[in-house]
Amino acid sequence: METKASVSPATFLDKIVVPGDVVLDLSSLTNQTIKLGGGLRQDCDSISVMKAGKLKFSKPNKYWVESSHKRYVPSVEDTVLGIVVDSKADNFLVDIKGPAIAFLPVLAFEGGTRRNIPKFEVGSLLYVRVVKANPGMNPELSCTDASGKAAEFGLLKDGYMFETSTGQSRMLLSSPTCPVLEALGKQLSFEIAVGLNGRVWVCFLMPFLELIAYWVVLFSSCSVTCSMVNAASPSMVVVVSNAIMNSEYLSGVQQQIMVEKLLQRIK
Amino acid sequence: MEIDRADGRTANQLRPLSCSRNTLHRAHGSASWSQGDTKVLAAVYGPKAGTKKNENPEKPCFEVIWKPKSGQIGKLEKEYEMILKRTVQSICILTVNQNTTTSIIIQVVHDDGAVSFDDYVFQYSVFISLLPCAINAACAALVDAGIPMKHLAVAICCCLAESGYVILDPTKLEEQKMKAFAYLVFPNSILSVLPEGSSLVEGEPMEHGIITSVTHGAMSVDDYFHCLDRGRAASAKLSDFLRRNLQSQLPSHSSKAE
Repeated sequence: METKASVSPATFLDKIVVPGDVVLDLSSLTNQTIKLGGGLRQDCDSISVMKAGKLKFSKPNKYWVESSHKRYVPSVEDTVLGIVVDSKADNFLVDIKGPAIAFLPVLAFEGGTRRNIPKFEVGSLLYVRVVKANPGMNPELSCTDASGKAAEFGLLKDGYMFETSTGQSRMLLSSPTCPVLEALGKQLSFEIAVGLNGRVWVCFLMPFLELIAYWVVLFSSCSVTCSMVNAASPSMVVVVSNAIMNSEYLSGVQQQIMVEKLLQRIK
Repeated sequence: MEIDRADGRTANQLRPLSCSRNTLHRAHGSASWSQGDTKVLAAVYGPKAGTKKNENPEKPCFEVIWKPKSGQIGKLEKEYEMILKRTVQSICILTVNQNTTTSIIIQVVHDDGAVSFDDYVFQYSVFISLLPCAINAACAALVDAGIPMKHLAVAICCCLAESGYVILDPTKLEEQKMKAFAYLVFPNSILSVLPEGSSLVEGEPMEHGIITSVTHGAMSVDDYFHCLDRGRAASAKLSDFLRRNLQSQLPSHSSKAE
């Protein structure tokens, strides 16, 4: 019932904290600047926790609470996958799974001018970068990197998009490469885009010889070869997506074993 | 003056608790909480852009929908929705996520005993243990969804027997014999780096505060304070249980206590 006797801040690092816990006492740290990330708030002279999660610290002075949820909290310089919901005169309205809908200015593309505004249909999937994420305002996005180049941002065509939690997407983007992606990459070749907002897009690249075969079939209307070529792509996308979705709570070794079993069953 | 309870518990003993989070696939946060035979499932959707018509756009809006196990939605359900909404507004931070709506849906999975619509007095006693169970489930679901909160809430039901004895967490059968009862919601007990005693509000630690109190029946002021003391002691146990449940961040993790 009583709060525990004074505990040093170091005991909370890398431990799960619960909303209400006071993790830092600012009156004991003089002349220091502390940076607070997500999940922490300042309450007069103390820093208390807003969300349940693991308290992390990175030198020299950044504290944050790491947690995994199905919704996303926009923050600057994050790369996310957004879905176009509407287009206005100045902006595209893009849904990024956050509390407010995000704006993508029509000129925020490489070499974008009023004359060559891209036309995105409602429902198109875009790989974008968050430029502004101020509290109380709609976040702003951009399809260029900081220097103005396109750098893989923009429309994602074909492929399949599925949703996971934000913690899972951070794991997929971690370096060294996440075990499940490494194991899949050894046997299959595919293209993947991971958004920090929990959306993942997977697409299959057809190998060169198969592509030739596909065009031959198209021109000669041979139905037998057609079915052989097209079967490869959708089932592989399903395998990759299922492998990624199942890997959320598995350790590295378990992920590798799971992927091996999955791929063995297909061959 | 010992009181004999039908299931053999002491006056201050709670029924077995069980909580599991992230049970629903589509909901942004979900939790199922059961105390003995009473089980409630809470789902949280949001925050989503836009507020309802008469709500203040400078604050996040919380909408509560209570779904009973059977029957139509009536005044009692609306009352519980209002109590839950006020409680949630007390524990959530209202300065972030402005102009958004967060929906909390409470589904009663199982309540203690059968339903009787004949006697209006009995109608209250059917839902006795539901409100504290629902508040606990809603709090766990909000944590699962990542809604920013000042602290957690733990809810308990205290009853006053004819003999003047106070018992905690009654079952439906025990409820019918009670003179009066109170649902009490307290803030959870927190761990702090501040030295003990420095974060007192008006000379008492924050956990001694009370968020919500709903009473039925007549009891004297002394009896009410007695209920509050017992409730606070039990809320520490509930608080510990909730903290242990949150320690494991794997979803669909269920922990059982007592």
